[in-house]
Amino acid sequence: MLAGSENAELEARVAEEIRADIVAQVWQIAATEGQVVAEGEPIVILESMKMEIPVVADVPGTLVSLAVSEGDVVQEGDLLAVLE
Amino acid sequence: MMTSARTTTSPSLTDVDFRRPQLRIAALLDEGTVQALHAPDESGVLAARGRINGVRVIAYCTDATTIGGAMGAHGCRNIVEAIDTAVRERCPVIGLWHSGGARLAEGVEALDAFAQVFAAMIRASGRVPQISVVLGPAAGGAAYGPALTDVVIMAPAGRVFVTGPEVVRSVTGEQIDMEGLGGSTAHGTKSGVVHIIADSERDANVRARRVTSLLAKPGLFDLRAVQDTDDLRALLPDRSQRAYDIKPVIRKILDTDVHESGAFEEFQAKWAPNVVTGLGRLGGRTTGVVANNPLRKGGCLDSLSAEKSARFVRMCDSFGIPLLVLVDVPGYLPGVEQEWGGVVRRGAKLLHAFSEAVVPRVTLVLRKSYGGAYIAMNCRALGATAVFAWPEAEVGVMGAKAAVSILHRKTLAAASDAERPALEAQLIVEHEQIAGGVARAMSIGVVDEVIDPATTRQVVAEALAAAPAGRGSHGNIPL
Repeated sequence: MLAGSENAELEARVAEEIRADIVAQVWQIAATEGQVVAEGEPIVILESMKMEIPVVADVPGTLVSLAVSEGDVVQEGDLLAVLE
Repeated sequence: MMTSARTTTSPSLTDVDFRRPQLRIAALLDEGTVQALHAPDESGVLAARGRINGVRVIAYCTDATTIGGAMGAHGCRNIVEAIDTAVRERCPVIGLWHSGGARLAEGVEALDAFAQVFAAMIRASGRVPQISVVLGPAAGGAAYGPALTDVVIMAPAGRVFVTGPEVVRSVTGEQIDMEGLGGSTAHGTKSGVVHIIADSERDANVRARRVTSLLAKPGLFDLRAVQDTDDLRALLPDRSQRAYDIKPVIRKILDTDVHESGAFEEFQAKWAPNVVTGLGRLGGRTTGVVANNPLRKGGCLDSLSAEKSARFVRMCDSFGIPLLVLVDVPGYLPGVEQEWGGVVRRGAKLLHAFSEAVVPRVTLVLRKSYGGAYIAMNCRALGATAVFAWPEAEVGVMGAKAAVSILHRKTLAAASDAERPALEAQLIVEHEQIAGGVARAMSIGVVDEVIDPATTRQVVAEALAAAPAGRGSHGNIPL
């Protein structure tokens, strides 16, 4: 992973993998492939611990691909989406 | 390569090595306040006194321009004297680290010297704030230096590891570079070794100065400054089962710093993010915040977040920093990995840390607090100064729906498919009347008061200010 402000442009084009941080069921897909998402915008909403947990973009970018569908059960660490 | 952006983007500095300790210390401290503690020497360490925002501090810096900053007996002695001086003069001590570790040529003497540095840090632990800024590779002995201090800040060129990539490859066959092994991602997200990841060397100094001011100039509660009445409940989603990010809530409760951005100095932001720990000011007074973050793992407590919180609580207690504990927790995270990973042992650290803490510590339940996690999040019996709740909060063993499914399992199973939903709904209502909300908790005295969210700042600040100021008599072991 790259660090440093002079690499910011390059970093923006590096793919960011969004992964589940808890075992959960995919409750709702909140964004579509190709959509430009802002920082903090939900991509997928997981259901776990009796809660709806939005999984949000950490940085702004384009949602390149979704790796899950509604109803899928995911384990901690499973890939949910790829952002660029 | 260790040389960072500075030498390529600042042409005026190409003939001056910014890694010289004199320059690094001058960049950290208030201009014109630097006074060396010793005559210039070849030790590889410069120690000096000076000021940060007017506060007297001691600083030491390894000389990265000479054999990669490696240190022997003389350099380590300079650090020991710097730390001992800071303890005597009761001021914070900041170490600027860029060192390959012990000077090989000095053999065991160098090892012994490092051990003396560690001993000095441990003597100082909890007595004066110790802050480390890792500016380049800090390897071997130089890794354990920062590890023993209270707050570790890492600049982009910073690396921390006990054994470097070459040795790792020859022993285990793993191929990884210095950055992967011990850089920002490793220690900011995986290990928890670094508390603050800075985005440049200048930023690292800014953060070190901020933390120093928060710890060394704690201030006093000014209750006139907390009379604002923003409805904080509006920051939460309408649906009680929807998770949200706790950080905007924290920032709204703490003072906004009109002079700088980032009034909340978060520690270990990307490690165990299901709990948020950090320092800010409330009514002008430095306050530590421990808060569940529902957006991460539903806000569940687990091994890492319990450990993260416990260390932070003990650090605050060591320095007399009052604590604000914001609770919205569904419970502990279940799982084999958690149990085998020692959630019992590590969760116990948080119970112990809160209970042992003598600083004022106020708990506010925002939405829910269930089960063992209710206990761990600074509950009444662990000695909370005060426990408040917002009106819709629930405190209980578990949520009503889950409780009913266990308590009335047979009754529900016996009902027909058509009847069951209505029956379940009725049982939930009845259960809530007995055990729900905070009524029960209030009747037994474990919640003191339900408060209007718009008065949050005022209520919690008053409770913290009214409590006798205490300061723990223990050190800050790197838990």
